[in-house]
Amino acid sequence: MTNDVVTKDLRVMLARRQLANGGWSALSSSSQAALESSAFACIALNSEFAPAHDQALKFFLRIQNPNGSWPAFFGDDHEGCWATSLVIIALRDNVEAVPQRLKAFEWLVHSAGEESHWLWKWKFRTTDRHVRFDPDKFGWPWMPHANSWVVPTAFSILALSQFPCACDPDGARRRVELGIEMLLDRACPSGGWNAGNSVVYGRAMAPHPDDTAIALLALTRNAQEPVVPASVDWLEQLAPTLNAPWSLAWCILALAAHRRRVDSLVQKLSYWPQLDQVEDTSTLVVSCLALDHERALARFGVAA
Amino acid sequence: MAAGSSVSAPFLTPQYHEVRRPNRSRVAILHCEDYSQKIEEIVFRGLQLFQLDLRGKSVVLKPNLVDYITGNAINTHPLLAGAAAESFRRLGAKEVVVAEGPGHQRDTQLVLCESGYAPILRENEIRFIDLNRDELIPVKLRASYSTMKRLSLPRTLVQADVLVSMPKVKTHHWSGVTLSMKNMFGVVPGNKYGWPKNILHWHGIQECILDLCATVPINFVIADAVVAMEGNGPLNGTPRPLGKIVLSGDPVAADATCARLMGLEPDRVVHVREAAKFLGNSSPKLIVQVGETVRSPDVPFSVVPEFGFLRQA
Repeated sequence: MTNDVVTKDLRVMLARRQLANGGWSALSSSSQAALESSAFACIALNSEFAPAHDQALKFFLRIQNPNGSWPAFFGDDHEGCWATSLVIIALRDNVEAVPQRLKAFEWLVHSAGEESHWLWKWKFRTTDRHVRFDPDKFGWPWMPHANSWVVPTAFSILALSQFPCACDPDGARRRVELGIEMLLDRACPSGGWNAGNSVVYGRAMAPHPDDTAIALLALTRNAQEPVVPASVDWLEQLAPTLNAPWSLAWCILALAAHRRRVDSLVQKLSYWPQLDQVEDTSTLVVSCLALDHERALARFGVAA
Repeated sequence: MAAGSSVSAPFLTPQYHEVRRPNRSRVAILHCEDYSQKIEEIVFRGLQLFQLDLRGKSVVLKPNLVDYITGNAINTHPLLAGAAAESFRRLGAKEVVVAEGPGHQRDTQLVLCESGYAPILRENEIRFIDLNRDELIPVKLRASYSTMKRLSLPRTLVQADVLVSMPKVKTHHWSGVTLSMKNMFGVVPGNKYGWPKNILHWHGIQECILDLCATVPINFVIADAVVAMEGNGPLNGTPRPLGKIVLSGDPVAADATCARLMGLEPDRVVHVREAAKFLGNSSPKLIVQVGETVRSPDVPFSVVPEFGFLRQA
């Protein structure tokens, strides 16, 4: 089968897995919509699946929190979470969603890791120094009232970068710059990223392929920073050995974004046994995105 | 980052809502030289030392499956998880699943493959549930040590008849030790709270362990101390062979016993000391020991300097 056929099959499966409310659950065995999976699914569906896409759009608009954010799952509290950045990306090119997207944009600009507060900065500089990081360089947390971490920061950078330069309420551009500085600060000493702890108790921590790939997507315009090509090299070496589709798919997207060859990786993913039967919806979706990586990167606002 | 990590601060007033502590608790220490096929018989015989009525019940095995680093004794060994599943089936359980929400790695499938779980689960036809992505139910906490009040927890866990915590016996640089009670951090879903489960650090590690264990009762413990970890745990410590498996229906008694096997003083671990007021027993006088007797090692487990006070003199 060609990649196009596999990708279409995955999209058909994805459309079949859509819940009646328009969202997607994180696991196929569940009936509770999860925002991460729903946003990725919406990004992955192309124009052939317009009805499913429209239903998803209505779902997002219906469940947006009053503060402009989105919850982690259907039925969650109204505080908001990191998946807001993914929904902003998913709603790209939808004129009818512009007001809601702007409201979400505003929430995202004001959301920050707790280490941005002077008291915590002071604590991390004086008494709590076992994790090496610079608290002046902060990004976005998974949920309010916690530290900044790599994945939510990377997706927030991608989401905020989709807004026109002229549109810069409340210093969004500065937040993006700070987020990039935070990612560079949290890189593992040997290159790559994990969740966001690079050195703990003096010991270098190992990078993870998916976290590294997602960070690299947000750093496509920062190739001049030595850690970026070093991390791309690490990922390029690791990718052919990976035995899990989620990480492999993210590697394809990041390597393609950094102009590395991905043909053999795409082939490996397209031949993955029973890929359309994977229980984890996000894995199914990210595989779909990786197999159609040019389109996916455009949706993320990343030029390959 | 460990904002809110507490080393030894005592709790001035009890924050629990109910006392579940039994009058006496039973703990079995089983000798197990290494991870081999014999482990299933050891676990099965060990479980028979307890009067467990499992007929028709759903059992959730919650191992400690965090990340993978070649050569590091990070995770509960997959052969032990497989042996436990088989033993519970033999004892009449209706369904046995393995469930975990890895705290560091977002790619659960990668952790399952690299840690050796994938073939064991496949060969033994054991269903795995990713607690990071399971359906969630908002649950009111049944203790108030942290200020969280509520948590969204996986349906699989909330609806299980029997929850078995299967920790890897390790030292931990933020909490001193990670045993059956600390192992419950893995049930907090990443999809909502992120990777690592940092929100629990902000609300206080020891406080959150107590709130979680008060809210989601651990019905049984099977602790992997065949090869434990000392030093800079939970990821970068040094493997320390102990050759033991610890079983108990009381997580506090299990953790206190494991701490003693590590040469650590259980009542100096904040959450063990506090949990002994309402969740279980830590005093040797209240623990009926079966199998082998507790023998602390000649050299206690090494710990990071902040937790040096845990070591027995």
